[in-house]
Amino acid sequence: MAGNSAPIGERGHAMRPGPTLRAVAFLIVSPLVARAPQAVPGSQEPPAFQEFRQRVEQYVQLQQALQSSLPGLRTTKLRKEIIERRQALAKKIREARPNAKQGDIFTPEIGEQFRRVIQSEFQGSNGPNVRKTIQQGEPVGHLRLTVNGAYPENVPRTTVPPALLLHLPQLPKEVAYRLIGHDFALQDIEARLIIDFIRGPIF
Amino acid sequence: MRRLILVLAALLTPPTLSLRAQDIALPVKPDSVRFAAIGDMGTGGREQYDVAQRMVEYRRKFPFDFVIMLGDNIYAGKSPNDLAKKFEIPYKPLLDAGVQFYAALGNHDDTNERFYKFFNMNGQLYYTFQKGNARFFVLDTNYMDPKQLAWLEKELPRAGADWKICYFHHPLYSSGAFHSSSTELRLLLEPLFVKYGIHVVFAGHEHVYERVKPQKGIYYFTEGASGELRAGNLQPTDFKAAGFDQDRSFLLIEISGDELYFQAISRTGVTVDAGTIRRPGAGPPRPPPTSAAGLVRLP
Repeated sequence: MAGNSAPIGERGHAMRPGPTLRAVAFLIVSPLVARAPQAVPGSQEPPAFQEFRQRVEQYVQLQQALQSSLPGLRTTKLRKEIIERRQALAKKIREARPNAKQGDIFTPEIGEQFRRVIQSEFQGSNGPNVRKTIQQGEPVGHLRLTVNGAYPENVPRTTVPPALLLHLPQLPKEVAYRLIGHDFALQDIEARLIIDFIRGPIF
Repeated sequence: MRRLILVLAALLTPPTLSLRAQDIALPVKPDSVRFAAIGDMGTGGREQYDVAQRMVEYRRKFPFDFVIMLGDNIYAGKSPNDLAKKFEIPYKPLLDAGVQFYAALGNHDDTNERFYKFFNMNGQLYYTFQKGNARFFVLDTNYMDPKQLAWLEKELPRAGADWKICYFHHPLYSSGAFHSSSTELRLLLEPLFVKYGIHVVFAGHEHVYERVKPQKGIYYFTEGASGELRAGNLQPTDFKAAGFDQDRSFLLIEISGDELYFQAISRTGVTVDAGTIRRPGAGPPRPPPTSAAGLVRLP
């Protein structure tokens, strides 16, 4: 079979929204402009989100430094190797942040800004679609979240509504937002750890 | 009536007696792109093994080179033993034969599966690859952030292939009663698919097989019943072209020139849907292939 190629993925590309994406994003965002103008992509970012980015960046720098002390990340047929590496990274992160607690990244000011955007999304004209996306993603019931706690292996990844992701600060590839019951969390996807969370903005 | 007969046949035919049912509704042309599609399979249960065995049997007559995985590849536990039980053992004959698997991640998958070599994700949550004259775009619809959308919009116009195929976990159109269509994702993705000429989309998540009438010129398939099943879950909708929700199933696909042939097969080896799609914009069609399974020639 001629012309086959190896997978080419998301790494190594500078990501800027293309024209279609910008147009679609505008259509989704426009009903919310009046309520949450600071959350519109391309507009002035609120100081709380700037502060959030800095805190996330500090976390990622720590994570990367800890990663560098582990065997290099690689694709492997040995599932055990993937799991052991993930567990080793989680252990190092816990040791490096022994006193990490809720609110270290989602400070009260940052948490309040997140609540505002999330609530705008749920209450806006796109709210039914957002709720439907969450329901379709088999939402996780109540889990007792702890900072530095593991995201349980048997629990599905709740789908994060794309429109919500358009309104929130973009994250480095090492971390992701998660909806867990009524709570909103920041997760290290490589160590599978909860980095921080906000209680109760999802309703 | 035909559908009723197929459903009854699927219910009444024991898996062990269905070896005879290897009717191939695909032309098996030289140098064609041949692959299988499975979704929501990683249960480790008997039904997943039955489907895998059926795939092995069909491969004798339809030697496909690769399998696209539509997500929920590994349910529940993620230990090495789980991966063996839910992937390596059931598909061992295919892996041993050199068949490649290309995974999309579902909501039940661990993001670290992207480092698992057999899934060919090369450490990436979303990626693209080419087989013959077809370019595949694999997305992570659990987390459709602006970064991923920008990547897709950058990659789509660069695809030089005749066929552009996209696959991911959540169906943009689904007649399944449990999840139904992912309308928010559709709002984001469909404009890109239309603008950049995606021809066919595969998804899983809803535990049924479904083929959707072309939407804005794009063909949509859901294959989310290669391990799990929600029997009787398909509801009447105005976009459903064909469906099967009485047993597990998988898809075989062949691309040759401007035509894409498909065959959906139940766990018991009954062909529940088959047909041909001609690439929009291609020249005049060639004479249709003949088949004992009764091909449906689509517009």
